[in-house]
Amino acid sequence: MNTCDKHRADILLYLDNALTGWQLGEFQAHLSGCPDCKAQLEEEQALSSLLRSSRPLYPAPDGLRARVAAAAARHGSARTLDPDLLRKARLQIFSQHVRHLAQRAFGWKTLTVTILALVLGVVFAPAAIRRTRATAYLKTAIATHRSYLNGELPLQIRSDSPEVVTAWFAGKTPFHFQLPTSPPTLGSKPVCRLTGGRLVNYQGSSIALVTYETVSEKISLLVASSTTAVAAGGEEVRSGDLTFHHRRGGSFNVITWTNRGLTYALVSSLSGSAQHSCLVCHQDIRAQAAQGGSFL
Amino acid sequence: MTFSFEKAHNFSAAADEHFDGLYAYAMVLSRNRTEAEDLVQETCVRAMQAIGRLRPDSNVKSWLFTILRNIWLNQLRQRRTAPTIELDGGDSTAELAVETSKDPHDQYVSKMESDQVREAIQQLSVESREVILLREYEELSYQEIASLLDCPTGTVMSRLGRARSKLRALLSDKLHVPGRRAKGAAE
Repeated sequence: MNTCDKHRADILLYLDNALTGWQLGEFQAHLSGCPDCKAQLEEEQALSSLLRSSRPLYPAPDGLRARVAAAAARHGSARTLDPDLLRKARLQIFSQHVRHLAQRAFGWKTLTVTILALVLGVVFAPAAIRRTRATAYLKTAIATHRSYLNGELPLQIRSDSPEVVTAWFAGKTPFHFQLPTSPPTLGSKPVCRLTGGRLVNYQGSSIALVTYETVSEKISLLVASSTTAVAAGGEEVRSGDLTFHHRRGGSFNVITWTNRGLTYALVSSLSGSAQHSCLVCHQDIRAQAAQGGSFL
Repeated sequence: MTFSFEKAHNFSAAADEHFDGLYAYAMVLSRNRTEAEDLVQETCVRAMQAIGRLRPDSNVKSWLFTILRNIWLNQLRQRRTAPTIELDGGDSTAELAVETSKDPHDQYVSKMESDQVREAIQQLSVESREVILLREYEELSYQEIASLLDCPTGTVMSRLGRARSKLRALLSDKLHVPGRRAKGAAE
């Protein structure tokens, strides 16, 4: 096995950030002097980027959720309860404290299936579709941020001018948005600096990735139409008419919210409480938004 | 054991969160929309029945995917024939693309690229398809995939390497490699 063969196996590990310590150093040293391995790494990165851009590979049809809920309910009742008993159980479940009543009136085995079917029936309703869309947007925001950090999503417009970046996006996305004219501040100091943006594919549509940075962190802001992307779930922080949804996704801090027909996802590695994370930017930008900016 | 609403709620949330992933895995295994929908449906029903036996610290996502895979393998054994190779004409991605006011050219290019990726993946062997789906789309770790496929981690990595190599060849004209034109993979 020559040196290249030995390191070919490391390429996937390197792409997954799974190489550390001396292995990473050795691989990087080899890479700097081997155009073939460097070329293969670039092809692997390009493939990863292409695969990510085609997510989700096969979105589940909405109708399937309803069918699954119905099948689950049928299956549970057919196996365990006769219809009269099931109806009684449902009435009792919905009219009283379910857990205590269920445990007194019926065995847990039969009711477990029934109640689960009912729970799923509720879950796979439109609210569930909404949550699924929120999860899909959240996953996309995290994957996009990770790709951006890895250098797989180079910026298409580089500027710290909100006007320039706003103008660049004009006509490129199926929605209009306008960045605030000055960055959010904490006291008199800017919290972060605008660095640019690019287009990202989301469910077959172009959406906007706007990037910021602090002294030590890069921050991604994904902007999509609220008809496509949904903000829901997580820890909720309310401010005025807005509701921010704060979650940890892997090592990232994600805040999503919807305003004026647009849904935003802010991803960073910055630590801090949900309340603090949301309101640092929001309190400052709110005034600008009231003057016409559509950031919030 | 007592019925746990928390467990039921957690399960329903997990099933909800992984619904797309389960469907994609079913599509990758069966390559048939009807079969994929049946697989997902059966998986959810069986998962509900088995939720009581799930340990609190279990990896629900891997558990759901394992159930789906076992159902598929059982179906294959029962048929004692090769899986149906039928590509659906339908496109559920289009159903979710609710934005109608976007640039038709961008929409066309983006959809075409996604279609080509799907077509390329469907040309792979079933073991390559599933390892690509599980790693590149569902982001399961090598260990999780090894446990799901019941094989060593090294096997997962070599399958993934072969699958990616084949995909690079199939999608060579779509790969935007900085500094030079993409070339086909060695295969």
